[in-house]
Amino acid sequence: MNTISGAIDFLSTAENWTGPRGIFARTWAQIWISLVAMAIAAAIAIPGSVWLAHRRRVPNLSVAMVNLGRAIPSFAIIVLIFPFSIRFGFGLGFWPTCVALVIIGVPPMFTNAYAGISSTPRDMVEAASGIGMTDHQVLRKVELPVSLPLLITGVRIAAVTIVATATLGAIVGYDCLGTYIVSGLRRGESGRPEVLVGAVLVAALALGVDLFLDRLERAVSPWNR
Amino acid sequence: MIADERRSLIWWAWVGDHLDDIWQRTVEHVQIALIAIVVGCLLSFVLSVIAVRFRWTFKPITRVGSILYTIPSLALFGLLIPFTGLGLLTAEIALVSYTIFILVSNTVAGLDAVPAAVKDAADAMGYTWWRRLLTVEFPLALPTVIAGLRIASVTVIGLVTVAALIGNGGYGALINDGLQRSFPTPIVIGSVLSVAFALLVDGLLALALWALTPWRRHA
Amino acid sequence: MVGDTWWVNSSTGRTPICTATARFRQILAESGRAAISLVDVTKHFDGSLTTAVDGLSFEVATGEIVALVGPSGCGKTTTLKMINRLVEPTSGTIMVLGADQGSLPAHELRRSIGYVIQQIGLFPHRTVRRNIGVVPELIGWDRERIDARCDELADLVGLERDLLDRYPAALSGGQQQRAGVARALAADPPILLMDEPYSAVDPIVRARLQDDLLALQDTVHKTIVIVTHDIDEAIKLADRVAVMNVGGILEQFATPDELLDAPANEFVASFLGRERGLRRLALRKVADVTPIAGPSVTPGASLSAALSVMDDFATTWVAVAEAEVLHGWLSRETVEGALDPGDPGSTVGDLPLRPFGSRVSPTTPLREALDVIVNAHSRMAVVIERDGDRDRYLGMITIDEVAGGLES
Repeated sequence: MNTISGAIDFLSTAENWTGPRGIFARTWAQIWISLVAMAIAAAIAIPGSVWLAHRRRVPNLSVAMVNLGRAIPSFAIIVLIFPFSIRFGFGLGFWPTCVALVIIGVPPMFTNAYAGISSTPRDMVEAASGIGMTDHQVLRKVELPVSLPLLITGVRIAAVTIVATATLGAIVGYDCLGTYIVSGLRRGESGRPEVLVGAVLVAALALGVDLFLDRLERAVSPWNR
Repeated sequence: MIADERRSLIWWAWVGDHLDDIWQRTVEHVQIALIAIVVGCLLSFVLSVIAVRFRWTFKPITRVGSILYTIPSLALFGLLIPFTGLGLLTAEIALVSYTIFILVSNTVAGLDAVPAAVKDAADAMGYTWWRRLLTVEFPLALPTVIAGLRIASVTVIGLVTVAALIGNGGYGALINDGLQRSFPTPIVIGSVLSVAFALLVDGLLALALWALTPWRRHA
Repeated sequence: MVGDTWWVNSSTGRTPICTATARFRQILAESGRAAISLVDVTKHFDGSLTTAVDGLSFEVATGEIVALVGPSGCGKTTTLKMINRLVEPTSGTIMVLGADQGSLPAHELRRSIGYVIQQIGLFPHRTVRRNIGVVPELIGWDRERIDARCDELADLVGLERDLLDRYPAALSGGQQQRAGVARALAADPPILLMDEPYSAVDPIVRARLQDDLLALQDTVHKTIVIVTHDIDEAIKLADRVAVMNVGGILEQFATPDELLDAPANEFVASFLGRERGLRRLALRKVADVTPIAGPSVTPGASLSAALSVMDDFATTWVAVAEAEVLHGWLSRETVEGALDPGDPGSTVGDLPLRPFGSRVSPTTPLREALDVIVNAHSRMAVVIERDGDRDRYLGMITIDEVAGGLES
């Protein structure tokens, strides 16, 4: 078929791989924005949720966050941030996408960190404070280690979701692998091979990241498997 | 002045003028989502029964489901376009694929959680395998199954917005329209309505579970 | 699939059989004498080194209760499950009501056999009434008939009727057990299989449920096979007991009395445990022995006559009785104290009599009677039978009489 042969041609052309709009650059762009968004989301989600869980506050917030996070379409979030980004001078492309990705990444990390800390067995916590640990020590030496597996799972879920959703950043002008798909769609019939190329690359990246993180998760918490 | 109003978050006058449009988008969105959810349910039910009856198929089925689930929506659409073109079929195939993983996982988990004593008793009384599955195991697995259905439904309703980019209607069309014209109102309306619809379906399913499981109320 | 109840002539009279498929009815019409018979049945599970059941053969007659007992791993539950084909035998034949059970589709066979399991397994999502009505529903009874049957069964097993419309979660362990039995009996199957039915309830409830089962059996005359690890439960409930050893070997198949009297080998003896003689006594009643007259005088007897009776029997007391009425007893001191040479006419009846404390009835188990005798100062018990509104005195029994009961 035309589309498939066109896609193969595209992929076998060296120029398409290098350069500022090449495959390598766009792949890195997608990974980079994901890393930034992950870091920011983690900085927001984890300390807050760990502290709240430790203090046993607002358990319903965690549940509400997940439900709402799932109900709000990521497409909508990206597009909604866009006008604000323009108005406040952050331009298009990187920042609206990044902010949107942070918003998307916070709920799974928050919820899993919260669940991890709050599901630490009560008697373990009581035993620890019983032998004279301060509140802070209980958190650091008992609750955090025990909740590590769940925490890591939350980070992994957030990471995979963020990398996947970064694809949509192409719609608001962020130059990543999604751009192949979006600009290909805009060009109609002639853009079909490009759409396929973009789709294959994005799928490969998403699956690759998932696989990588899966191995990482197993390596870090072998006792869980 | 009109330019100012346009840039405000919701220009109510515009909303009032375009109620027909909004309604049309609603109908489209509901249709696309419902088809995906219903087909997803049926397909997942069949796959779950196979996975329970022939245990060795469970891993392959969930592996495939998991892969489909991980591929971002836009990319999955893109992979299908060369074969099924733009439009409803592509969107539905992709959307149904997203539901498989979560529905099959939950259904199988729910069926596995039925106490062995109950299954043994059903066998001992002369239930055929099929009858036992439909009238004993499945009702008892409903809480887990519906939990999965809620997640799958909300996810699908959100993803229908992306389907607008490949030639379908729905709230995504409103969002895209607003994006193209730098006009916030349809973006906000589309987003809010999508969320509202998702929460409505979630609530209805929770209610349905309550109604279908009278034995759990009398605890 | 609605049908009328079919009857089969058996050694214990007419036994009702549940409605089933036409083919099964035909098979039942030609049934032989044994309700269940296993012929050289072997079961070997795949991937297991040991044989679960090895060449097992025995018969269960219609209307009798057979208990399968043995230690863990003896294959008793496996054997039970082979009867209704929850487990398929590796080799051998099992005949149920005269027909090879392999000749019917498994689910049809099971609708004609009641089954009670240890964890009960009531369906949580159905009311108790609909739980009990499972098999009747399967074979096609109409709603009214099922409801009536549920009410009838609730009374039969001792379940309050208002529990019928609740869900199983609302019932206590003992009540759930009863519901489980009711469910097994719902379609009036000729055979009932029970797998450790009372292990999950506490001892007090268990004793009551066991008594209820025996009472039930008097009414319904089912052929029952019970699996239990409790030898005392087997002895209490069963007409015959099959003692099995690890590997599915049948060590002895006999009545509880024969078992206790003459265990076939070391294994059976040690499995039975101690005090076999006393436990045999528990199987017999006072009515099985003949009471003696003992040291007894009529109320009209003279005091010296009473004293000479006491001399003859070498006791320090004498009973006062006439015809079948027991008036009481007198101690030697009382009689001697009242003896007045100047008044030879006074009779025993003039003296204050004391009532007997150590009483038994003809239905009292001999073991209990022995307990009464041992605790009585007089080393004997009087046998009183309640007849309408009066008490009939039948005589006395001592340890000798009790021990004699073991010889019959």
